[in-house]
Amino acid sequence: MRNLFAFIYRFRAFLVFVLLEALCVYLIVRYNTYQGAAFFNSANKYVGQVLEYQSSVTDYFRLSSINNTLARENAVLRRELMQYRVQEVSDSTAMLDTTIFAATDTSHTAPYILHAGRVINNSVRRMNNYLTLAVGTADGVQPGMGVVSSNGVVGRVKTVSKDYATVTSVLHSQMLVSAKIRKDNTFGTLKWTGGDYRTAILDYIPLHVHPEKGDTVVTSGFNTVFPEGIMVGTITSVEKEQDRSFYTIKVKLAVDFAQLSYVYVVENTTMYEREDLEQQAGILTDEQ
Amino acid sequence: MNSRFGIKNIIQFILFVALQILLFDNLVLFSTGFCFIYVAFLLFLPLGINRLWLLLLGFIVGFTVDMFYDTVGIHAAASVLLAFLRPLVLNLLTPRDGYDTNDSVNIHVMGWRWFLAYIFILILFHHVAVFFLETINFQAALYTLGKTIASTLFTATVMVILQLLFFSPKRERVDYR
Repeated sequence: MRNLFAFIYRFRAFLVFVLLEALCVYLIVRYNTYQGAAFFNSANKYVGQVLEYQSSVTDYFRLSSINNTLARENAVLRRELMQYRVQEVSDSTAMLDTTIFAATDTSHTAPYILHAGRVINNSVRRMNNYLTLAVGTADGVQPGMGVVSSNGVVGRVKTVSKDYATVTSVLHSQMLVSAKIRKDNTFGTLKWTGGDYRTAILDYIPLHVHPEKGDTVVTSGFNTVFPEGIMVGTITSVEKEQDRSFYTIKVKLAVDFAQLSYVYVVENTTMYEREDLEQQAGILTDEQ
Repeated sequence: MNSRFGIKNIIQFILFVALQILLFDNLVLFSTGFCFIYVAFLLFLPLGINRLWLLLLGFIVGFTVDMFYDTVGIHAAASVLLAFLRPLVLNLLTPRDGYDTNDSVNIHVMGWRWFLAYIFILILFHHVAVFFLETINFQAALYTLGKTIASTLFTATVMVILQLLFFSPKRERVDYR
């Protein structure tokens, strides 16, 4: 027994080293596979305060571009609003609605709620990129909700504290987005493979369709995270490889992740009901 | 050999971590050169510091950076590895007549060759650990390797600049008369 203790004492540095490394590996694995329940990240209150202070300084240097984005978005919204008003006045066929959406179609009646949030931490150059937002459970944000900006899809909420939320960006090696080509509704999976933060890959588009350079890619709405038809990007190149039964399509992302300052967290009011149902049926995929 | 962990080191911890989070997080050269200057805290610790204490400090500083980077465990693992290897590298680089009582990690005191060898070896191990833990797979190994080497050069350059700017060339001599 004394020998054992002597042995442990002699190799104490190495044993502590192995112990700490094992702890780190455990943390890495758990954080990568397990959603929520992670306290030690930038949604933490104190870390969030430091990051918020930092962005309160750096935001001054981006005020003009932020203003431009907001103004442009306002313009688009106003234009849409005006169109609706004109339509309402000139067209009284309100019952036309029921021909497009059957009266029982819940996707028509259940609205999406948007929560605006300021980006206080952001990265684009790592293998797995995250954002931190200055909104939290106090503002109605919950883990699993989608995040979009005025230009398109941004990511998905990973963890939330009272005042802050961390978001898995589309620029994350394990983030998959269910997307479709708007022209012919062919759906595939969008993923980012590292490197250039403006370009992602659209996979699983079968060879019988004919995607072209310049086609628009939008979200499919086949899951609860993003509403249907949110802009993802435009196709920049289509390649057919000898040994694959799918195209290799490069997509230029609509969102410039290096310039993000305000985003919207999308709350889907029927998310839990639909996810429950799909989980019970056993058809829930890991796509977002 | 001075082995006291003093107030100077605590200030260095705060300064280097703040520098890392507030400045070098945003400073990436050509999407390949990253600077993890916070390892300077571990490298500049007293030469004769207790090994267990060093490992613990490595874990603490790595974990602090992890919280801000949202990479739980990666920087902690790399820093603990660095902390474990530091005494071995110091042994390897022992000057002909051993370390002096007043020796510290200072480019003016220990000389360019010793200093560069010391920081390059340790930074390389740390960066290899960080980048390969980040990608996990070896598919893009060449790209990751390029990133590692560029980042090692970047971090080492910044560290040498910091040494030349802020560490005094005066050797703190003890009068033995």
